[in-house]
Amino acid sequence: MTLLYALSYFTIVVSILALARRFIKIAAAPAHLRWDLYPVAHEGTKSAYGGSYFEDTDWWKEKPKQNKINQLTVMIPEILFLQGLWEHNRKIWLWSFLMHHGVYWCAGMAALSILLAFLQLLNAGSTSFTDIIYILVSVTGTIGFAAGSLGALGMLGLRFFDDKMRRYSSFAVYFNLFFLLAIFVAGLVNLFAGADIFRQTAGFFQALLGLGYIGYTPGVVVFLTLAVLFVLYLPFTHMTHFFTKYFTYHSVRWNDEPNLPGGKLEQQIGEYLQYKPTWSARHIGADGTKNWSEIAVSEVPKDVKK
Amino acid sequence: MSKSKYGVADISVPSDQLEHIEMSDLFPLPPPYDKLEDQPRWQKIKEESRQNTESSLDDTLAVGIPKPKSEAEADKYVAAFLEGMRKLFTKENNWTFLQPLLLTMEHCAKCQTCSEACPVFEASGGKEIYRPTYRSEVMRRIFYKYLKPGGKFFNTLKHGDIELNWTTVARLAELSYRCTLCRRCAQTCPIGVDNGLVSHELRKLFSQELGIAAKELHEKGSVLQLKVGSSTGMNPLVVKDNMEFIDEDTSERTGMNIKTPWDKEGADVLLIHNAGEIMAWPENPGAFAVLFEAAGISWTMSSDLVGYDAINYGLWYDDVQFARVALKHVQIAKKLKVKKIIMGECGHAHKALMVVADRILTAETNIPRESSMTFLEELLNSGRIKFDPSKNDFPVTLHDPCNMVRLMGIVEPQRRILRALAPQFREMHPNGVYNYCCGGGSGFAIMSPYNFRDWRVAVSGRKKLQQILNAFKDEPPEVNKYLCAPCSNCKGQIRDIFEYYGVWEKSRINYGGLVELMVNAMVDIKGPYIEWGMH
Repeated sequence: MTLLYALSYFTIVVSILALARRFIKIAAAPAHLRWDLYPVAHEGTKSAYGGSYFEDTDWWKEKPKQNKINQLTVMIPEILFLQGLWEHNRKIWLWSFLMHHGVYWCAGMAALSILLAFLQLLNAGSTSFTDIIYILVSVTGTIGFAAGSLGALGMLGLRFFDDKMRRYSSFAVYFNLFFLLAIFVAGLVNLFAGADIFRQTAGFFQALLGLGYIGYTPGVVVFLTLAVLFVLYLPFTHMTHFFTKYFTYHSVRWNDEPNLPGGKLEQQIGEYLQYKPTWSARHIGADGTKNWSEIAVSEVPKDVKK
Repeated sequence: MSKSKYGVADISVPSDQLEHIEMSDLFPLPPPYDKLEDQPRWQKIKEESRQNTESSLDDTLAVGIPKPKSEAEADKYVAAFLEGMRKLFTKENNWTFLQPLLLTMEHCAKCQTCSEACPVFEASGGKEIYRPTYRSEVMRRIFYKYLKPGGKFFNTLKHGDIELNWTTVARLAELSYRCTLCRRCAQTCPIGVDNGLVSHELRKLFSQELGIAAKELHEKGSVLQLKVGSSTGMNPLVVKDNMEFIDEDTSERTGMNIKTPWDKEGADVLLIHNAGEIMAWPENPGAFAVLFEAAGISWTMSSDLVGYDAINYGLWYDDVQFARVALKHVQIAKKLKVKKIIMGECGHAHKALMVVADRILTAETNIPRESSMTFLEELLNSGRIKFDPSKNDFPVTLHDPCNMVRLMGIVEPQRRILRALAPQFREMHPNGVYNYCCGGGSGFAIMSPYNFRDWRVAVSGRKKLQQILNAFKDEPPEVNKYLCAPCSNCKGQIRDIFEYYGVWEKSRINYGGLVELMVNAMVDIKGPYIEWGMH
């Protein structure tokens, strides 16, 4: 188990760093030109039909208000029920829904197990309270294993048998699904084999906090090893969409922030306009010394055909 | 299911033609357009053109890149392509779209949810190259294999293999012009990946690094516009002359004294039309003038170079050309000291100047810009003009220009006008932000090289024609009907579709803008403003 503990600490460090790096890379990218896509959920009553503040006369006279509640009414069904897939790709919705919920519930199980470990560490929480948490760990875990197994299996089936999905599925796509399936199935097998997987999982987190725990069965060790490896692997895959989706929606599709005179955005744009592009086409006239501002007001070189 | 036998990696494999479309592959149109034998045949690309240009993608050509004369020249293009792609992922060269591009490159789940949303893919009968994910996947694989750390072996295993060679580059250049950038696909993506953006970025790479772009957008488009004032070729003298003629004609038709004001300093409003209206649909700028004069608006047009043409084709292929044109527009408005710019009935001009250019305009160049849809609704509600809706008592439907509606959220003002002034207004389905592109988006409407017109009418415009016909399906063929399309490029595409299939002759469907309908309903004009017939 020492190896697994070492791997777990390593995983925690690497995953946090890798996720942070990815987050920073995206968040730190310049504020791009607007690329709105409607409906934009925070447009208040207009969002029901996809309208925007551009429908208002003299819209620039007031800073547009954002209706955050409305935004939540779109985000929550999307996160919990995969609303987009339900509307646009019903065929894969059920399997994807089950698979995602497998991950959600298992994440819930892990979070509750960590809570239990902390309670143990701090010697806090009554026995009845920790018993309730333990029951919740068992419930979330059981639902997660079952839903995840079905979902990952269904998604694999679709990837294998649906022509259009098979054409675009690389090795990594199958690998990811098999990986997830292996974790969920390992959980289920342990459950059916009568191993006290939830108690052991909670114990694993206690051990990571330095409390020591020795009662593992081999099946649960396999399960825990797979789960730890998955967490290590996750930040390097497209599965990071669990947080980058925030950017695709809030920074691109729904980013309708106008560039108002004197605002922060205007200041940022002023900086970007100082970048010196090196595009090679003749008509650009980028010689490595001119910045975007200078190029944008320059004439197309005369020898470029009209 | 797609009938295409090839996969993503096959784009690199030289062959005579990667994809072929039979007329029978296209989905059937409603009667009387459903008989295959009655449908116009496609012209074939001439043998001479095939020999001189790279035409191995499909049955048409939009760009028509000359074949390289030697292997060394081909290699040079491939190296330049890769260099261009590298630049796309640097903030110095592509701060304009770096973040959305990265998000799209790194997070596609390959679930194909977007495919069914694409009117080109659907109309083609599911040809694989037109699937929104196809070109994105090609670009993604190149990106990972050739530009990302991790080694070719590892990244190929992770993302799939592709060979970057001249065939790939040449086909990608053409393929970036098989998407109308309508972004219906992006709208359905559960993750928020944007395959339309990939087409945009590919076009940009080709233009800004290799100097390769569709002639109609670049040489005859933005370059010509910046040189002579308009991509129509009209210089300031010609445009004023043409508008004078339009004023005379409009005065005669309406019984009003119309004189377009030019370069009036301090006017409230600078109106910028897509100059194509002045050339092809003079009744549209005429109708604007009637409404503005009748309502007593303080307005002007500009005869400065570029100031009379709202077109900004850079929006679709080149950020630098885009910025050059947008800056001219706002500088002219600033010079005239107007309170705001009103965009005429042109979807892409709306999006270009009001939305996308918003983040290149700083300080005094950030002149307020407003949609004519909003302005016209305000004008209607002001009560300054008397309207009689019974003058528009014929079936009317509305086409939603993607740039103005899905990509800007201007949905209701034009509808409220139609509900007030067109008693027989009905929606087509789907509509609003879920509309289908006319098939002429991203510049296609003005592109007719080789046999490209046949392709854009029969394939990319097919879904729109189906929608239009369905909107009027309960009306007798002999009844005059009106398709309101408040966008110059959309009208150009619809004109070509209607001509191609004989829609006026068979179904008596006319098309035009919103302002024409408004003027037609005015109490104070002497006769009907709308002229029925194909024009």
